[in-house]
Amino acid sequence: MRPAVPSPNPNPSGTEAERGFKKAILRLVKGGAERLAIEAGQIDAIIDPGTGNAILLPAAQRALIERKAGFRSLIGLAFDWYWELDERYRFVSYRGAAGDAAGLAEDAVIGRTLWELSIDNMSESDWRTHRQQLEWRVLFRDLEIRHLDRTGGVRHLSMSGEPIFDDRNRFKGYRGITRDVTERRQAASAQEPHRFQPPILDALDAPIAVLDRAGEVLSSNQAWRVFAATHRGVGTGVAVGANYLSICDDARGAEQVDGTAIAAGIRQVIAGERALFRHDYGCESPAGWSWFALSVTATAGNGSACAVVSCEDITERKRGELLLRLEFTVARCLGDAATAAAALQSVIRVTCESQGWDCGRYFCMDQPAGVLRYAESWGVRSAAVGQFLERSRGMVFRPGAGLAGRVYQSGQPLWILDSSRGAGVSPMALAPETGENGACVFPVRADDEIIGVLAFSSGKVREPDNRMLETVHSIGSQLGRALRRLESAEALRRSEIRYRALSDLTSDWYWEQDGSFRFTRVVGCGPAGINDILGLAHWDLPNVAPPDGGWADHQSHLAARWSFCDFEFAIILPDGRRAYYSICGEPMYDEAHAFIGYYGTGVDITTRKRAETALRESESRWRALAGPQA
Amino acid sequence: MARSKKSRGTPDPVSAAAVVMVLYITDSGPNSVRAVANLEAICKEHLQDNFQLEIIDVLEYPLRALADGVVVTPSLAKLSPLPVATVVGNLSDRSGVLRALGIVE
Repeated sequence: MRPAVPSPNPNPSGTEAERGFKKAILRLVKGGAERLAIEAGQIDAIIDPGTGNAILLPAAQRALIERKAGFRSLIGLAFDWYWELDERYRFVSYRGAAGDAAGLAEDAVIGRTLWELSIDNMSESDWRTHRQQLEWRVLFRDLEIRHLDRTGGVRHLSMSGEPIFDDRNRFKGYRGITRDVTERRQAASAQEPHRFQPPILDALDAPIAVLDRAGEVLSSNQAWRVFAATHRGVGTGVAVGANYLSICDDARGAEQVDGTAIAAGIRQVIAGERALFRHDYGCESPAGWSWFALSVTATAGNGSACAVVSCEDITERKRGELLLRLEFTVARCLGDAATAAAALQSVIRVTCESQGWDCGRYFCMDQPAGVLRYAESWGVRSAAVGQFLERSRGMVFRPGAGLAGRVYQSGQPLWILDSSRGAGVSPMALAPETGENGACVFPVRADDEIIGVLAFSSGKVREPDNRMLETVHSIGSQLGRALRRLESAEALRRSEIRYRALSDLTSDWYWEQDGSFRFTRVVGCGPAGINDILGLAHWDLPNVAPPDGGWADHQSHLAARWSFCDFEFAIILPDGRRAYYSICGEPMYDEAHAFIGYYGTGVDITTRKRAETALRESESRWRALAGPQA
Repeated sequence: MARSKKSRGTPDPVSAAAVVMVLYITDSGPNSVRAVANLEAICKEHLQDNFQLEIIDVLEYPLRALADGVVVTPSLAKLSPLPVATVVGNLSDRSGVLRALGIVE
């Protein structure tokens, strides 16, 4: 409950009326201290003991009134109108300090939604977005609307609002403020013609052109004019007065895709469907193939300028990305390659495809002969390239001779931009190596040793920058390591084949046992008559005949992890005869040097053993027949 | 307006040594504003954080003033430690306020 504040005393303090008022209130106060304080002017209010209401003394009244007036003044500075909407977004209140003639008249808005008013700068799409904001109950700021006031003048109003909820958190509507921003808008419009003045645009480094609603170039800067005159591609030769949209629409050949995309983006920006459109495209420039990021930005204001087109040279970044991708691709190709030939083919191919080069050849260093020999190549499908590569077969270079030999000797990459200049050699002399084109030749290294040279030929070979030099160094190193690895793997594979062949010649089967001496693997024809010996130790084999002296001696060898050789044992066959076998074994250890079992080979020696037995029996018979004289 | 100022970092703000006060004011009346400033200065200088102050705006809580027997604003009531004491006016009489709060300079 807020007590009724008496109306302010119209007379200043010290008047007769004020003194009368003071006397009257002193009658309400009994205490001496309170009376003294009132007399001293140190009291703001007296509490009426009957009602509890505070009776303000004149000075306090004046202070409160001044404060309220000051607050109202501040509020008036912040906005021009205050409004409220109900839960269906209809105006239920619209009040303001400014004259209604300038803004929306209260009687014209009450009971109507904002989009039912005569506002001419909002499309149906804009209203949909605004209604969505309201449905989401979010705060909205600076919604700018334009309408005609009662005098027919254009007014620009900026509205901000926040949702209102009751104490049960139920949505009740919106409340907010409206500010008249007409003067600010008009001032901005007055500046509009000067915004894109040539001197201002010329101060900018990036090529810039300003388009009107139809796509016609209203103005451009010096950088744009240079760009349009020197570059080939979309937008070539677009000068002030030309229609950029038509030029993009009419682009043909390789430029058609970029032209269509750029035209669509510009139309979207001009239509207000997007504030910014970006498109990266490549084109020929005096420095070779270049990349540009084209940006189209919408312009605000009432002038004829609708979009600003600017181009940023992103060639360096694009080339960097391209080279990085090439390095990754080379690494992946090398990882997938099973042979050195496949690795070389794939690396040459991806490098040519990435850089737009025609072909590449690899010359391998033949250390015993001390020469570089043609080893592998890849080229685009063309008769000239095919003939050039065919001529390259069998080529040999001594260190220091030819481009490949010079690169091998110097260890540095070498570029020939075209065969008419560079390297101090005549074009005819270079033709066998470059195909009458430019060339890029660089060493392939493994462990700081040059093991070969890669030579690429193309008319598109450019002067290398640092990033390109890093890439060829990376490719050379990756390829060198991969070739070494693949050569080692190939040597190992050949060695294994030889070992297997040898093993097959000297034994009948290969076996492995676990730590408990049980067979875990048998390759080849094992002991005859035993179909499945996996999981069994030697002494557990069915029908096995123990060796002379039993198994103890052999088991002690195994327990001591000793190698053994020519350990012989026999298996009793179903017909009662014996089959003899000889095995050799070595202990196996894992990476932690822990014993994990035995492996070895076995040989069927039945024929030899039977022959020995027959010989012994024959000798015995002969000795018996010869008698004591023998 | 009903504001409270409590000692910081003390588990029980109304400890035996803490001074508990109520200041009755009238919104932004000139004497009320001055009383708040004078009392803030005295508390900062003499009580540090060892006090609890409640500020009651009689325009918002008139019945509270009536119930507490407050006749004029600004008025300062010291409730604890005993004895209870009241100072009326804008508290510009510094020595009188200190005496009422039991603070010896």
